[in-house]
Amino acid sequence: MEMEYDFAFFGEMFFRTFSLWWVILPAIFLGLVVGAIPGFSAANTIIILLPMTLAMDPEIGLTFMVALYASSRMGAGIPAILVNIPGTAGAAATPLDGYPMTKNGRGQQALAMSFTASIAGGLLTTVIALFSLPWLSQIAYYLHSVEMIVIMFFGISLIATIAAKDTLKGLIAGFFGLMIGFIGTDVVYETPRGTFGFLELYDKVPLIPALVGLFAVSEAFAIIENRSIVSENGLSTMKKSSWAKTFEGVRIAGTKWWHIIWNSLIGLIIGVVPGAGAAIASFVAYQQSKTFSKTPELYGTGHVEGLIAPESANNGVTSGTLVPLLVIGIPGGATAAIMLVVLQFHGVTVGPDLFMTSPELAFGPFMAMAVTYALMIIMVLPLARYMSNITVVSTVYMAPIIIAFTLVGSFVPRAYLFDMNLALIFGVIGYVARKTGYHVAAILIGVILGPLMETYFLRALRMSEGDIMVIFSSSIGNTLWVFLIISMALPYIIEKRRNKDVTIVTND
Amino acid sequence: MGFDNKFDPKLNRRDILKGSIAVVGAAAALGLPFSSALAKGFPDQNIKIYIPTRAGGGADRLNRAVTSVWKKYLKTNFENSFFPGAAGRVGYEKYMGLAKDDGHELLFGNMGPEVLNWVVKAPTFDLNKFKYFAQIDADPGVIFVSRKSKFKTIDDVIAAAKKKTLNVGVSRLAHPATLGVMALARQAGAKLNAIPLSGGKNTYAGVATGEMDLGALPSGGVIKRSKNFKILLMMSHKNPLPSKTENAPTLNDHFKMSMPSLVAGARAYGIKTSAISDHGANFRKLEETLKKTISDPEFKKAYQKTKAPWEYVRYRGPEEAAVYAKGIAQIGKEFKELLSGKKS
Repeated sequence: MEMEYDFAFFGEMFFRTFSLWWVILPAIFLGLVVGAIPGFSAANTIIILLPMTLAMDPEIGLTFMVALYASSRMGAGIPAILVNIPGTAGAAATPLDGYPMTKNGRGQQALAMSFTASIAGGLLTTVIALFSLPWLSQIAYYLHSVEMIVIMFFGISLIATIAAKDTLKGLIAGFFGLMIGFIGTDVVYETPRGTFGFLELYDKVPLIPALVGLFAVSEAFAIIENRSIVSENGLSTMKKSSWAKTFEGVRIAGTKWWHIIWNSLIGLIIGVVPGAGAAIASFVAYQQSKTFSKTPELYGTGHVEGLIAPESANNGVTSGTLVPLLVIGIPGGATAAIMLVVLQFHGVTVGPDLFMTSPELAFGPFMAMAVTYALMIIMVLPLARYMSNITVVSTVYMAPIIIAFTLVGSFVPRAYLFDMNLALIFGVIGYVARKTGYHVAAILIGVILGPLMETYFLRALRMSEGDIMVIFSSSIGNTLWVFLIISMALPYIIEKRRNKDVTIVTND
Repeated sequence: MGFDNKFDPKLNRRDILKGSIAVVGAAAALGLPFSSALAKGFPDQNIKIYIPTRAGGGADRLNRAVTSVWKKYLKTNFENSFFPGAAGRVGYEKYMGLAKDDGHELLFGNMGPEVLNWVVKAPTFDLNKFKYFAQIDADPGVIFVSRKSKFKTIDDVIAAAKKKTLNVGVSRLAHPATLGVMALARQAGAKLNAIPLSGGKNTYAGVATGEMDLGALPSGGVIKRSKNFKILLMMSHKNPLPSKTENAPTLNDHFKMSMPSLVAGARAYGIKTSAISDHGANFRKLEETLKKTISDPEFKKAYQKTKAPWEYVRYRGPEEAAVYAKGIAQIGKEFKELLSGKKS
């Protein structure tokens, strides 16, 4: 793909896109709302609004969809941090450290950190994607099923990390999640397995009811034991809510700039691979972040790095999914597929030629994303102070509202009443898991990554005509295997050395 | 904000659930008056279309093009509902289980793969209670490669596949295009390994990124992406679009075979037979207006915007659709063991 554009061209494009602020601002607002409500993802909102976007000029329609997509990604993190309810699967790793911060009365700072990481990560990866489109699009040529199996293992190994405090319970929860993830028809012969005769389970266990049940419904059951989400100590901190706390959150996130860059790049690379997504990216980022952290023991207790990693990664995915759509005409995810429908309706053929024939449409989505992230700085950051107040609302009101909203949310994606029942069942499972010390996040990792792992694994096996050694057949895959082993062994080696140092110091 | 964090014995989980159900119920009740239409005659409400695949796919695009004009003749709007899963099985089962049979609820699917799916595993409903009444297009299957592929002709592919197994990306195993691959492998003595990639989008990705050596799909989508892909073989009796397919040879001509035309994209509207028998007037209105829609220049315009070849569009009534469905089921039975994994 030959592309020769100078800075003047990109500058002109930027201002051209900025002039569409009247489309971007409402899209940001809508995206934040639908992202924050489980079930109302960007993809199904764009489907609902298709009659409107189809009637718009393609450039305006595309800008609207991109702005909604980017802001919904950020919106999904808000309930994950404040009430332990990830709005989408991509935000499933966010509450691991975001919610403990809220419980400690640091919800406002957590939101500010999350917004900063999301905006910085999103903006950075969008700019990188814009200037390196031809090279980025090559990633998909190297990451095939075999390599994706290893990448899945990076995410799944997080189960072991989460299980560090109680290995047996963590592993049981993880395997339980994987078993649930394998429910549905297999990807080769479409044979139903473990569906108990329910047609609604043929297309796998739907993610939103599982997400909503394990996190939100079980959380609602749990919080009614207290008067508010925030702990006693946290409440006194909350009372001193001020603008300074938002700036403090931004400052703290800013000190972790290298962390934001590294994890948003993980998101960008995973986003470029068609079919991979934000859920994989955020789990892989969290696992990597913890592995190479100087303070891994703080993860899960409200650690800044544990919040920043998944948020910068899932926003990095957003620009990544647009790369295969625009460069090779293959959408990287569900939202990108809907965008393709709109482009095709207007007679626009995506692919390398688009950069020559209609550069405003080819580069437009990336510019729209950059402008969206820039505008979100002034639109979203000030809201952190007010949003965090939701956590002091009495649980007498919060619990029924959470259940009502999330049950409706679990119904929305497929319009099955079955999914509402499923969310309640997962709610009970989640509640029992919490009370008995099994980590719900470990179950969820299995539910989300299990089917993806199976898909890549069965595909690789079929391609190799049943040879299991296929998983070691690629040099890139083998390199990733080595990194996986290192990243899993490293925390133990570091801890062992630390313990040794402590022993030496004590003996001295 | 200064309250203590003690458990309130007046509130239990049952109350919370009751409260939640009440909120959901109230919201639903508020929405009801807006959904009921007051118009008289058929259709007196929106027409709901069940689509057994995901939003954004070929069926979605074609249905949108049709309904954007059809609504003009029926003077009503269309609501599309997507029920993906188990190669279309979920959508059909949902339609037969839930849909009203007064003509206000229809199904729009791709007959080939969905009929083949029933050959592999029979549906739970009685097939005589469902009927395709209007086929909109007939898009033959093709074998294609990436423009970057070393294979330039189908003979290159066969020569290589006689030496080592080549992986062929397909949308799903029970698909007319996959049958073409299997038939070709049998006829030419080639080792072609069909890899189901769950949909056209993934198949294009698999071939474009080089993970698959070649792919087999309906031709329309490949022609649209002809900058990236090259068609090597058509699965129809004749090549209907030689200029758009670089004069690709046909399966029967090139390999001296006598396969029936493997139409891989045969999108059609279906309906419960009880709707035809009990609400005949409504059904006739649907048929008549749909025929007008397909011959309306506005539809041609809407269809051409999708960049699919207009030559594939032709209205075919219930009898012709039934002939196609029966034919594809017949070939499916021949390859049933391969499609169901009982033989590899």
